[in-house]
Amino acid sequence: MLPFIIRRFFHLIPTFIGSTLLAFIISQLVPGDFLSQKALEPNVRPETIERLRERFGLNQAWYVQYFRWMGNIAQGDLGLSFDSNQPVINLIARPIRNSMYLVILSIVMLWAVAIPLGVYSAVRQYSLGDQLVSAVSYFGLAIPNFFFAQVLILAIFLLRGYTGEWFGFNKLLLPVAQMTSTNHLNLSPIRQFLDIFWHMLMPAFVVATSGIAGFTRVLRGQMLEHLGSDFIRTARAKGLGKRSVTYKHALRPAIIPFVAGIGGLLPALIGGAGLVEIVVSWPGITPTFLEAIRQQDIYVVLGLLVISSLLLMVGNLISDLLLAVVDPRIRYG
Amino acid sequence: MRKERALDAGTPLERQSKSQGQVVWEQFRKHKAAMIGGGILIAMYLSAMFAGFLAPYDLNEYRRFPVTAFQPPVKIHWFHPETGRLTRPFIYEYSAERDPVTRQRVYIENRDGERYPIRFFVHRPDATYKVLGLFSSDLHLFGVDEPARLFLWGTNNLGKDVFSRVLYGGQVSLTIGILAVWVSLLLGLLLGGLAGFYGGRVDDFIMRLVEVFAAIPGLFLLIVLASLLRDPRNPVAQAFGLQMTSAQLFLMVVIVLGFVGWGGLARVIRGLILSIREFEYAQAAKALGASESRILWRHLLPATASYVIVQLTLDIPGFILAETGLSFIGLGPSEVDTASWGLLLRDATARGISIQFVPWLLIPGIPIFLAVLSWNLVGDGLRDAFDPKKRR
Repeated sequence: MLPFIIRRFFHLIPTFIGSTLLAFIISQLVPGDFLSQKALEPNVRPETIERLRERFGLNQAWYVQYFRWMGNIAQGDLGLSFDSNQPVINLIARPIRNSMYLVILSIVMLWAVAIPLGVYSAVRQYSLGDQLVSAVSYFGLAIPNFFFAQVLILAIFLLRGYTGEWFGFNKLLLPVAQMTSTNHLNLSPIRQFLDIFWHMLMPAFVVATSGIAGFTRVLRGQMLEHLGSDFIRTARAKGLGKRSVTYKHALRPAIIPFVAGIGGLLPALIGGAGLVEIVVSWPGITPTFLEAIRQQDIYVVLGLLVISSLLLMVGNLISDLLLAVVDPRIRYG
Repeated sequence: MRKERALDAGTPLERQSKSQGQVVWEQFRKHKAAMIGGGILIAMYLSAMFAGFLAPYDLNEYRRFPVTAFQPPVKIHWFHPETGRLTRPFIYEYSAERDPVTRQRVYIENRDGERYPIRFFVHRPDATYKVLGLFSSDLHLFGVDEPARLFLWGTNNLGKDVFSRVLYGGQVSLTIGILAVWVSLLLGLLLGGLAGFYGGRVDDFIMRLVEVFAAIPGLFLLIVLASLLRDPRNPVAQAFGLQMTSAQLFLMVVIVLGFVGWGGLARVIRGLILSIREFEYAQAAKALGASESRILWRHLLPATASYVIVQLTLDIPGFILAETGLSFIGLGPSEVDTASWGLLLRDATARGISIQFVPWLLIPGIPIFLAVLSWNLVGDGLRDAFDPKKRR
């Protein structure tokens, strides 16, 4: 096993270098830079611009800049933000953390909803419930995340008319924007946690929808395939109970691809959380990324790209390893 | 069915001569959901094609006075106010007033005023359009006389008609997916085919390239490329001396979408080619001395066709979603003389707008949903129709 892990790990290095190089080249293609914008400001002297250019190494050839930047990354330094003159890592740590909260909750929702639904619709194939699940999952796959978030916000506002009396006057069922309430800082740590959790529920659900829909459909297919196979007939013939046959014999092999998929979910969901974050003003990665693009704050953009592609690659590695662990048919010699 | 077969048995040759296309079409027709999806798609594409005719107003038509910003959908009356009898549908004029308490602008139906019947096949010189870029016309399916305005789905912050804009938006949102799929098909076939056919170093290199692209989250890559290409000083524009018009921006977005999406297709085509290459007929062609390109283009790639058709159909909704997403954050095709459904949804998130007061601004999301749903249904139907195991 260990040699397999090591080999897979070294396999990542060229990919990582390639993707950083690609990101860097694209960022260099952007005409002008942050400083050429700044140079247009009347109160900035040309010497200041020159000095800054020198300091950020912008007057050197792109490949020199790339190697300098990569060298710094190897030492854990993502560079400085032009805009705020702070280390990039300080700027992006918090948004990444915030996106993580959202993603983790939505993965939990994904599993908690999709597994029972998938199993149910496979066991009761062609029943009314199965058809309903499959119709709803088509719906979940087709609705754009950001639109769904907007619709839910509208629904929550409209519900206020009916639920007002239960929750006190003029209170919403769920918060529809931001990550925290206005009095967040005055709350006790537990209340703070609950406050964030309360704010996460709606966006996390939205992020999870398309995943739930896809997951349910694939799990149903997998379950059906296994339920029709010989070892299930054997298990039934032995006189095993229905529950045991379904959960112990059919679900276990059916779930293998999803166990392997955990690693892939994490970074995929961060990308997927993107537009929802904008709709609900979640202080996450995507709004930060867009703002940095708008400001031409190249090192912040690159920093976010590097971190997210690292997450992606590590996620893929984890899923490969999990697959090798879970599925005895895969040999990793 | 069985009876027909028995009768047909006398003329076996005729029965065998069914082409694959015919078989697939027969199977597809039995897939009810896919047929419904196909019907919806045909209706949507036709309505986008004839958007100018179906839309009562032009894409960017609005007037300053009397104000129409954020006007809710008009109420269409079917019954005569005095006699209470069914009459030809009509509307009243609306006037904007301030709510005395909240100072919000509210629109009040002017029930004492004139009734404006909805007329069909009206000429409006203010809103001329071109069908397919060929015929110029100012004929509209329906409309009302000025000064009343027929806002079926309300208006946006500038008082532009949402209904007309949704129809025009379809021209961008519906075509961009199809075009982007061709870009990704071209790249995917070319690179996947090369990788599978030559193997070895070429394969290694191309697959590494796919991995490199896959290692950058798709949304971020899209955002970076789209914002790069939107800049009028971008290298492509400078190389060709372009003044980015909205048509060129549109093409740019198509290329960016296809460019980000080709990896998966290339990977699968490579896998298919690798296995088909070992089939007897491919080996036979090689033994007969066929050239490499002939084997690749005549024997290997056609064998992947059914898979590719299905995959492309299932990729289109993804591209539609990506385009509407890009437009939603303001990085789609230009907003000046084109619209896209994502861009229209962006109106609902503008600063200082609460959705509960302008719920009709969410309407453009419904056609996105419908288009994606229908493409998914059609794709699933095609997949089942091509799959011999699922013959019915």
